[in-house]
Amino acid sequence: MDVDKIELKGLGQTLYFEKLDNGLEVYLIPYTNKKNYTMHYVTKYGSTATTFVPYGEKEMITVPDGIAHFLEHKMFEQEDGVDPFTFASKTGTYSNASTNYECTRYYFEGNKAFNENLDYLLNFVGSPYFTDSNVEKEKGIIAEEIKQYDDEIEWFFDEEMKKAMLHKDNHRIDIAGSVESINKITKEELYKTYYTFYQPSNMFLVITGNFNVDEAINIIRNNKILKRAKTNFKFKVKKEKEIEKIKEKEVETNFNISNTKVGYGIKIPIGKKDRFTLNAYVALMLNTKFGLSSLFREEIKKKELMTNFYVERELIDDYLLLYFKADSTKPKELVDAIKTELKDVNITEEEINRMKKVWISSNVMMTDDITLTADNIVDDIITYGKVMYNKIDLYRSLNKKDYDKTIKNIDFTNSSIVTIYPEHKNKSSN
Amino acid sequence: MEYKKLDKTAYKLHLIKTDKFKTINVRICFRDEIKKEDITIRNMLTNFMTSSTDKYKTKRDLVLKTQDLYAASIYTRCYRSGRYNMTNFYLSILSEEYTEKGMLEESLKLLSDIIFHPNFNDKDRYLEIYKFISNAYQKKIENIKENTTGYSMIRMLEEMDKNEAYSYRDIGYLDDLKKITLEDMKNYHKKLINNSLIDIFIIGNINDDTEKLIEKYFNFKTFKSPKVNQIITHNKVNNKEKVIKEKNKSSQSKLSIGCKVYDLSEYERNYVLTIYNLIVGGSSESKFFQVIREKNSLCYHISSSLNKLDNLMLIKAGISRKNYDKTIKLIKELMDDIKKGNFTLEDINKAKANYISMLNEIEDNEEAIVETYMAKDLLNLGNIDERKKEIEKVSKEDIINVAKKVKIDTIFLLEGVNGRG
Repeated sequence: MDVDKIELKGLGQTLYFEKLDNGLEVYLIPYTNKKNYTMHYVTKYGSTATTFVPYGEKEMITVPDGIAHFLEHKMFEQEDGVDPFTFASKTGTYSNASTNYECTRYYFEGNKAFNENLDYLLNFVGSPYFTDSNVEKEKGIIAEEIKQYDDEIEWFFDEEMKKAMLHKDNHRIDIAGSVESINKITKEELYKTYYTFYQPSNMFLVITGNFNVDEAINIIRNNKILKRAKTNFKFKVKKEKEIEKIKEKEVETNFNISNTKVGYGIKIPIGKKDRFTLNAYVALMLNTKFGLSSLFREEIKKKELMTNFYVERELIDDYLLLYFKADSTKPKELVDAIKTELKDVNITEEEINRMKKVWISSNVMMTDDITLTADNIVDDIITYGKVMYNKIDLYRSLNKKDYDKTIKNIDFTNSSIVTIYPEHKNKSSN
Repeated sequence: MEYKKLDKTAYKLHLIKTDKFKTINVRICFRDEIKKEDITIRNMLTNFMTSSTDKYKTKRDLVLKTQDLYAASIYTRCYRSGRYNMTNFYLSILSEEYTEKGMLEESLKLLSDIIFHPNFNDKDRYLEIYKFISNAYQKKIENIKENTTGYSMIRMLEEMDKNEAYSYRDIGYLDDLKKITLEDMKNYHKKLINNSLIDIFIIGNINDDTEKLIEKYFNFKTFKSPKVNQIITHNKVNNKEKVIKEKNKSSQSKLSIGCKVYDLSEYERNYVLTIYNLIVGGSSESKFFQVIREKNSLCYHISSSLNKLDNLMLIKAGISRKNYDKTIKLIKELMDDIKKGNFTLEDINKAKANYISMLNEIEDNEEAIVETYMAKDLLNLGNIDERKKEIEKVSKEDIINVAKKVKIDTIFLLEGVNGRG
């Protein structure tokens, strides 16, 4: 069968790639020593696309916040009354789905009936069935899901930081929407959204683990629903131009917690820089200057500036966002220490080599896990627009000269401070 | 895969040879009868052990060393299992064919340093590091209510029977934390090394030298034998369940229900109860999920799980407080339905398929394989193939009989009031 075969260099893996006539991209990584498989069917459509021209129409419409996630729940409703959970469970297969800002994915994980399950996955995600009553029924369930996340400090913290850094970008809005917004969702809007974003040309399939490549390709090529699908439909989504400067320099708020939390967020415009390179060099800087092996961390421990400290990165459309988060009784001093540290981001060749060794080793370790391997492929496509086939080589090629060039021009002062105090404490008393 | 269990007098060595993985995993498990007052110091001690040793004085030194070992990872976990306190040290490294010769020995040496040589000697350094860990640990205990689902479950177990081991908080206690001295830490370290039952597991592409390496670096000396049965059993049946409600500032209410399981045979506990749980609440195909979530839209999350060594089934759900009565009524009805035999052969087959699939999953994961060998000894469970055979034998009648032995004992509601949403 003529399928593209790509060696993932340095990882000892082979990736098989095929693009169907209707635009669907298929990525397969078979293992010979595993018992299980995992298949992820993904649409490049997440919570941020809320204003768009629906398929077959001419005017922009705006749909309620949280509709991508609502749609994900409703795809499990099938006209024949058998839901996909039940279908999968007959062979002990685990099924689930998830929605984030950029994509929605449906997945099966199991060790039996690969062929049937793959065909079924393609069929059920290809067959929407929404009625007024099944849409109403879901509102109670999703309202409870939203309330569950409302009570979680980590979600609140993350959202407050996004709101402080971003002016217009839809990453400011909760993935699941609000109880109010989801209550407005109708079956008509769900169908419009579905037919716009669930076209094969906007989707991809990733399979890893124990399966036969020829059989998998055969099923995909002959799937009836995929054969009927439209080809190369291009949709239009309205995106607000995000302002480069952060929105709020400082935010103070309260939550039902026992100890004060502080976040320091930095907004870096990507501009014309290569996303992968920028992300890698910033990660090198963060790991070396602020990671577990950094002097900085020993320093802030000694000075008792925090009891828990971690750093995260997030690549959104045109920006790289950095999050420094901590539990701290001295939030101001901690933020000052971070700012001071960021004034000198020089690192040595040796430090760069150390991180390269750690990253390459970790990547090799991850190939033992079929789910992590599939996740990495999905993340690459969503974050970089393509699978990074030569990731290990790219890590090997990181060097001091390019580090200096990339990092020197970044403005680390374009930043927001978010402090969350326990509710009984006065905001200004600390 | 080749499994060997060797009695080294002071510890049991489990060697699992397989070439399916690129990593080698080591687990050293210290087991001892649980005492409530030991939980906090045990957490503090293991925290300290992975932060400062005689040779690697700071966390930074330790992390740099693990980076040199090609991103080795070492961590610990303390938890209760039935009547025992468990403290595990984990090491995970790439096999030498992906790194360089000698890395396994170097890594074992590092783990040995961590276990045998915590930095109690450099007193200034000790105090500085202790203070940081202690502060961080204190905050963690104070933050316990941030996880409302977990907190509701902890409170439920406390209300069930505050004298039984299952009511102890794994996370530890502030009062105990304040009392700990350097002498206490030294003594408890000696106790951990000398008085615990010890199991060492090593899995991966190992060879004949591996056993010698373990003997060289883990020279435990004292022989110990188990004192108490690890499994908790319940004597008297509470005919009326205990109901406790506590208010909390949150949007959602967290329901926790503790069910005691009485007089099970080993076969019932190991197999029938597993199937019963999957049918009633342990999967998305379960009665709770299908009826309470899908049919009645009362929640997003509802599930049941088993603590077999405690003879407990735990139910948790996130609901609106106004739906409390309706949810409880449905949970009871659904549990009664199983007793009456109102479930189908298809329900049983789906549960069995689910269980067998979980067993197949184990074989692709080193940690899970080790876990299986541990459970084999603790619960007297068969190996994976034996389990697959045994589970097939579970009949509808067996399930009905077990259902009759599962009784709701304590209901706890962390009542969400004045939340943001």
